[in-house]
Amino acid sequence: MIDPMVWLIVLPLAWACFAFLLGPGRGARPAIAGLAVQLLLALQLAAGLNDSGAGAHAIGGWGAPLGIDLAADGLSVAMLLLTQVVVLPLAIYARTYFASYAAEARYFWPLAGFLIAGLNALFLSADLFNLYVTLELVGLAAVGLVAAGGGAKQITAALRYLFATLLGSGAYLLGVALIYGAYGTVSIPTLLPLVTAEAPDVVRLAGGLMLAGLMLKTALFPFHFWLPPAHGGAPAPVSALLSALVVKASFYLILRLWLGPFAPLAGIIAWLPALLGAAAIFWGSYQAICARRIKMLVAYSTVAQLGYLFLIFPLLPTEGALQAGIMQAYAHGLAKAAMFAAAGVLIEATGQDTVEGLAGAAQQLPLTLFAFGLAGITLMGLPPSAGFLAKWQLIEAALAQGHWIIAVAALAGGLLAAVYVFRVLRQAFLLAPVGDVRPVPRMLEWMALLLAAASVLLGLRGVELMQLLGVPAMGGAS
Amino acid sequence: MKRIAVVGAALAFIVALLAAMGDLGPAAIDLRPSVAANLAASGVEHPVTAVLLNFRAYDTLLEIAVLLLALLGILAVGNQRESGAVGPMDPLLQMLARIAAPLMAIVAIYLLWAGAFRPGGAFQAGAVLAASAVLLHLTGLMPGWRQPRVRLRWGLSGGFLVFLAVAAVLLIEGGLLRYPPAHAGALILLIESGLTISLGLILAGLFLFLSDDDGGES
Repeated sequence: MIDPMVWLIVLPLAWACFAFLLGPGRGARPAIAGLAVQLLLALQLAAGLNDSGAGAHAIGGWGAPLGIDLAADGLSVAMLLLTQVVVLPLAIYARTYFASYAAEARYFWPLAGFLIAGLNALFLSADLFNLYVTLELVGLAAVGLVAAGGGAKQITAALRYLFATLLGSGAYLLGVALIYGAYGTVSIPTLLPLVTAEAPDVVRLAGGLMLAGLMLKTALFPFHFWLPPAHGGAPAPVSALLSALVVKASFYLILRLWLGPFAPLAGIIAWLPALLGAAAIFWGSYQAICARRIKMLVAYSTVAQLGYLFLIFPLLPTEGALQAGIMQAYAHGLAKAAMFAAAGVLIEATGQDTVEGLAGAAQQLPLTLFAFGLAGITLMGLPPSAGFLAKWQLIEAALAQGHWIIAVAALAGGLLAAVYVFRVLRQAFLLAPVGDVRPVPRMLEWMALLLAAASVLLGLRGVELMQLLGVPAMGGAS
Repeated sequence: MKRIAVVGAALAFIVALLAAMGDLGPAAIDLRPSVAANLAASGVEHPVTAVLLNFRAYDTLLEIAVLLLALLGILAVGNQRESGAVGPMDPLLQMLARIAAPLMAIVAIYLLWAGAFRPGGAFQAGAVLAASAVLLHLTGLMPGWRQPRVRLRWGLSGGFLVFLAVAAVLLIEGGLLRYPPAHAGALILLIESGLTISLGLILAGLFLFLSDDDGGES
């Protein structure tokens, strides 16, 4: 019998190692083959979940709390599916893109493999300490990808990212240690009945540390300082991976803890992440509107879009809020991967990286600009995109509970997104004399378009995703 | 002013932490009895090794990946500088290093073996191996490392691959890292032997891949 859960972790570890053995710059084929199988496994897992409920795997056969358990409920599988769906087109993109960047490509495939393995392991783990190890795996792989083969500026950004991510996981680890001290276990299902509203102060402190550490890793305003240089400076496929997936991993973990063991303690501080999220929307959008370089514009847009994810926290007891959050993670994941991919093509073709320099590019690269525009539709939240569905659900949940202020923040963010998206499009569609536009492999343009189209069309198939999210964890608690 | 604020905040945090930990009762769950009860089926006699390579072996598997990843990060940044010439070294120092290195290898093998029933194991053994490589490098007997060739790449990732292969085979048999009790001891020894060599190379690599910018002086 093939257990898709566990193979989703073993397979990327295997092809990452294989790519390392093959030597610098090699390993694209096994990676893409592995990713295709992973996508099938994720789909199989989702189908199995819809039929027979949540999955679990006791590693080593010991079972928690002695051993480590893997668990797959609707939330985990939704994130797993998003990861595999985004990575496969990006890998095909990266294979073509890195053909002309030998230095950056030397260790791309092994690093990417460990990154994907870390993400999949994170989404499946039901053990607080094991989650820390997966956070380290994801964080170190991401830092390595940002630093790879870059100049001094890129390495500076990578080091800043390294310090931020280490501080974040350090705070999380201290929280885990305190939890272990208080309860003697790090298994989430075992902790669920133990943590009550009368928990000792040390548990509140632990929860606060873990939340702060993970917010730093998710780059929530004002902890976003490390994100724009790291995401804006890396090669395009790396920026896309980091913006679409890596920051979502720590967001998922916040959600998992918030809805899980810390649920009895979470009530009062729910407005803190929402407030920071609203601030992120305004600050990130403002910076994106002012950005001179196109990749910085897209990176600051990530800061803004991450804000939406945190608007859901005061609304969380309702079903719709969680659905809105995950739909936003999907919308932003697909659209931002498409946008960075398109930005990579634009930079390649025009040989420069400013928004000003794009004048007239639409005549030469209509496909890429179309992809950029489609991704922009999702970020603005226009129908029928997934972004529209996410905002609609968020506003509906907010109004149902009388928190109209959240609805206002979501709507204003959509308008601001329109400003920075149209800044790029307007420049590109100017009827300016076109400078030297270098030919770009068509594969790059098609992958950007594929991701952008997926972000729009997902809005039409949102029901399946919502149904998947509704599958609770084993034992009834979600 | 900023420094005072940071120090003040850190002190306040430590006081809060200590105060919160002060009124901590006994933990709800004590895992020691269940570790002791399952020790016989774990394949080793030392509880720490049993936790690291059997009960929570999955954590260890991922930790090895983290170490390999740290090395990949260093390799990916790339070291463009040429290695400088190794300066003349005190012959007495070199002779001592030549004597120490084989002894350290024997200590590493002993630590690996001892891990089954007393403190020791692959991490400690690998660290000793790595230290001997660093010692040889510092005394000018071994040059710093450049981009790894095929043999070194196999050495660096071989331990992890053995671990992953054992995990995958057991997964096909029934469960990830679910050792059959009869073979648990042998499988753990196999994994630890592979890990000792790879961890030694990885830890040495963390030093040696970075050190050729100063030649023998670093």
